[in-house]
Amino acid sequence: MVYLFAAFLVLWSITFGYLFILGGRQRQLSQQLASLRSQRAAPAEAPRDRAMPEEG
Amino acid sequence: MERWTRTHRNLLWAVSAVTIGIALFLVFLVAPREATMGDMQRVFYFHVPAAWVGYLALFVSFVASLLYLRRRESRWDRLALSSAEIGLVFITEGIITGSFWAKATWGVWWTWEPRLTTSAVLWAIYASYLTLRRAMEEQGRRERVAAVYSVLGFVAVPINFMAIRWWRTVHPLVFEGGGSNLTPAMLRVLIFCIVSFTLFYLAVLSLRLGIAWAEEQVEQLRYE
Amino acid sequence: MSLARQVWTLVLKDLSLEKRSREMLSSMFIFALLVVLVFSFSFDLRVEVMSGVAPGVLWVAIAFAGMLGLARSFVLERDQGCLDGLLLCPVDRSLLYLGKLVSNLLFISLTELVVVPLCFALFNLTFHWLLLPIVLLGTIGFSAVGTIVSAMTVHARAREVMLPILLFPLVLPVLIAAVKLTGGVLDGQPWREIQNWMQLLVGFDVIFLVVSYLAFEYVIEE
Repeated sequence: MVYLFAAFLVLWSITFGYLFILGGRQRQLSQQLASLRSQRAAPAEAPRDRAMPEEG
Repeated sequence: MERWTRTHRNLLWAVSAVTIGIALFLVFLVAPREATMGDMQRVFYFHVPAAWVGYLALFVSFVASLLYLRRRESRWDRLALSSAEIGLVFITEGIITGSFWAKATWGVWWTWEPRLTTSAVLWAIYASYLTLRRAMEEQGRRERVAAVYSVLGFVAVPINFMAIRWWRTVHPLVFEGGGSNLTPAMLRVLIFCIVSFTLFYLAVLSLRLGIAWAEEQVEQLRYE
Repeated sequence: MSLARQVWTLVLKDLSLEKRSREMLSSMFIFALLVVLVFSFSFDLRVEVMSGVAPGVLWVAIAFAGMLGLARSFVLERDQGCLDGLLLCPVDRSLLYLGKLVSNLLFISLTELVVVPLCFALFNLTFHWLLLPIVLLGTIGFSAVGTIVSAMTVHARAREVMLPILLFPLVLPVLIAAVKLTGGVLDGQPWREIQNWMQLLVGFDVIFLVVSYLAFEYVIEE
């Protein structure tokens, strides 16, 4: 029956949709953590250079 | 659960994936065809576990909230949040599959009978819980207030449930009065599905807990 | 000071605040009136037997007006810095809950004194003494949860919206039971048919009074 198929479609779309969202969040957080940690290890030099433009 | 290693988590995912695969096989190929409703009845094998896991997850969130209020350790708050979010997803699935079931058997997508109303209210409560967390900025107060709301919300569930017992209901009371309207074969498939969904819940919970922990780490690193 | 006196002092504080400004009660009255009028007007255009919708309209009006009062009751404290003052009082935190609960009850009951007769007039209902305990118990249940939830939303963003969002799902059993009971009594249904709803209402009131009383200190602490 159509309803059976539709119900399963909705059920598994929601499930995999949620898992997909979670996976995305985890990836994003790992990146953020990695960048934050490396920033703390070696304070960035570049911004300081850019803030003081070369003269002459 | 947060201290599990990668291997533990992968194992859990593998096991739950396998059991769900088996469950699908059982539901479509092994479970007997129901006399009056035909194949549509097979939604039952996913509707009941989804609703069951939803209630279980929200119960876990309730207990975690109580523990957080008592002990103020952030891991209980992480568990409360994670389980509430997952529980909401499963309850949504339960309500939607139940709605399809209702349409096929009673001809209506929805009716305001006690058990459905209870589920809708429970959904609203935990949707509000998640909204509340997002609306509060003060750390510490946010977790505390949300925990209290989770406790209030879950206490409301048995009260709603009692209303079912006293009111005539259209909802199939499959397990009423000690007996059941399922054949033993159907019951076995149903129980297997419930187990497989529970394992799946645990796997998703481990993922979600990891995310909650990572979010906390990011917060800490940012504001040190 | 005995417990009762402490609670009563808190209530008196709220009452005297309101006596000076009068803004909360008047807005609750007017809002409830408007709700009843609008509903009775719009239903009159479509519904044959008005008394059927009367219980629903009554309780919707009470709930909405009640929510207005609940929202104001804690916001006022916070905005004026009174909340900190209250917390400094040598009073058991849970007593603050009781104090707020009683004042909220009083304000909502005063509103009901206006709304209930209005409904009776507009919907042509006949009075029954059972309605008094029903309305009282329903109001108690609503206020018991409402008081603690309004304390919870005081520190949230968009708190005017958060209060109804948080409160309605919790309070729904009370509204359902109250509407069923009101309707049953007005229709002349025999008591044993609707007494289950009364048990539900009483059970809800007791459970939520206790839970809210215990949980209040967690909500209000710094």
